[in-house]
Amino acid sequence: MRQGLLLWLVALAIALLLPLVAGKSPYLMKVLIIMIIFIIYTHAWNLLAYSGQASLGHAAFFGIGGYASALLASKFGVSPFLTIFIGAAFAAIAGVFVGIICVRLREWFLAMVTFGFSIIVGTIFLNQFTSIFGGVDGMPAKRFFSATLEHRYMYEYYFMLLIAIATTLLIYFIMRSRLGFAFAAIRENELEAKVLGVNTTKYKLIAFLISTYLAGLAGALQTHSFAYITPEIYSVHNSFWPVIYAIAGGLATLEGPIIGTVAITLIWEGLKNLGLSFGRFVIIGLLLVAMVIFRPRGLASILDRWR
Amino acid sequence: MLDASIAMQVLFWGIYAGCIYMLLATGLTLIFGVMKVVNFAHGEFLMLGSYITFWIVSLLGINPYVAILPSMILLGLLGIAVERLAFRPILGTGKLNEIFVSLGLIYILQNGVAFLWGDDFRSMHSPYAAKTIPLGSINLPLDYVILVFFTAVILLALHLFLKKTSLGRAMRATSQNRKAAMLMGVNVERIDMLCFGLGVALAAAAGSLWAISGQLFNPYSGSLPAIKAFAIIILGGLGSIPGAIVGGLIYGIAENAGGYLFGNYWKDAISFLILIAVLVVKPHGIFGEGEE
Repeated sequence: MRQGLLLWLVALAIALLLPLVAGKSPYLMKVLIIMIIFIIYTHAWNLLAYSGQASLGHAAFFGIGGYASALLASKFGVSPFLTIFIGAAFAAIAGVFVGIICVRLREWFLAMVTFGFSIIVGTIFLNQFTSIFGGVDGMPAKRFFSATLEHRYMYEYYFMLLIAIATTLLIYFIMRSRLGFAFAAIRENELEAKVLGVNTTKYKLIAFLISTYLAGLAGALQTHSFAYITPEIYSVHNSFWPVIYAIAGGLATLEGPIIGTVAITLIWEGLKNLGLSFGRFVIIGLLLVAMVIFRPRGLASILDRWR
Repeated sequence: MLDASIAMQVLFWGIYAGCIYMLLATGLTLIFGVMKVVNFAHGEFLMLGSYITFWIVSLLGINPYVAILPSMILLGLLGIAVERLAFRPILGTGKLNEIFVSLGLIYILQNGVAFLWGDDFRSMHSPYAAKTIPLGSINLPLDYVILVFFTAVILLALHLFLKKTSLGRAMRATSQNRKAAMLMGVNVERIDMLCFGLGVALAAAAGSLWAISGQLFNPYSGSLPAIKAFAIIILGGLGSIPGAIVGGLIYGIAENAGGYLFGNYWKDAISFLILIAVLVVKPHGIFGEGEE
């Protein structure tokens, strides 16, 4: 345990010091900021998987959070620092709605419904209410920090990092609480959990609520960081990335989303600099298959002997 | 208003699209029945079928309908390789792993094709492209009629194979009860492999026919049909071939009618709305029984 804590502190120190090295390059800072947003997003997906529910359509909640926050900020002039938390609540409302559909479903049925839901939501945002959502062109979103501010990437980085740390702590406490035990029990064997008196419906819905709130928060963070949002946000890639990150890092573990997101982002950006475009998707796909076959517990399992 | 000739047109379009879904869903349900595996990357084989047929036709200059069979055989072999390398190692380690592996396969196949041949839309030219058959008040493109005919022939051949040959009997036995089949001397792992190859070959046939009948295709054109085929086998009952055929037909018609009534961009969303509605009412599909 002590060594585990040490690893966490080392990771935290690196995260805090990184901008001192990377701060000069806007490209690197942008990569780091997106990486942190996706750590939060992957945490969100992973928490749902922790309760045995693997969604293939989390982009829906990522996008709803982003749109809601952008709209609140521009229509009512509220600061984006506030709207990200309100916007995420809209994602959570949608999440509970989908959760109610999904409570009786497992595995691929659930995967199908969530995937389908993201397609439906994407269609609505692309084709309906174009006067509000801006159709295919999307709409601009307020930045967290003015584009002319000197060290804005650095401020943005530390702000995202703060939320990522808070999210990680939240997930840590959830995993160690009664809630977390209920999630794990449902994941391992839903019927047994039910027999033992766990209200599985309630806990599955709670998992959906928290997971989709955090996904919406991550979507809102990305939206205000990019300063625009389009229906592209509902693309299947945004649904699949957290799955890939979580599996690479270690499914249903606390450190998995962090390790996976960092590792895959490094590989991804490295391959990009080698000039690969489609090739890097092929490599990520091969990695994913190889991980599931040879290291089903992810990269985090390498650290096991340290604990 | 909906007049008769438009209704006919929509119905025929639905049957035409339904044939593609039928072939895809039949392959998917065959694989599921025997291996209890859901391959989300099934549509990528449809896409590959379009490409392989395209290349056979461009390189050899033969009639595209003749190219379907070699294309099916080539992809069937690829399917066998995929089963051996990707699915066999994770069989029985949990359903989530199957979803994740097929996700990886989607990335590999889509982008592998894009890497090799680019991601622009391509099209094929059928020698019968301009010909139509008059039926009542509407004209049916000849290629569409051939597609429906080919689908019927392929499904009939599959039916005969499953009912009349000993290999087909072994497949059905494995599908009904894997352990009992094993005890009766069926080599279930070989059946898995053949079944996967057969399912992939059916997807290849669907992709070939789809492309030959004039539809554009690119490396990403397989994903949505596959998800819909998956919805169809949920509706029709997992593992049931008649369910897949009837489901595919109903789905094709419903989707086209919905697209006509609400606008074409709603096509995909409508099909998922149907699926979700069914799952809410009957979580195991219309014809499916509760299992687990």
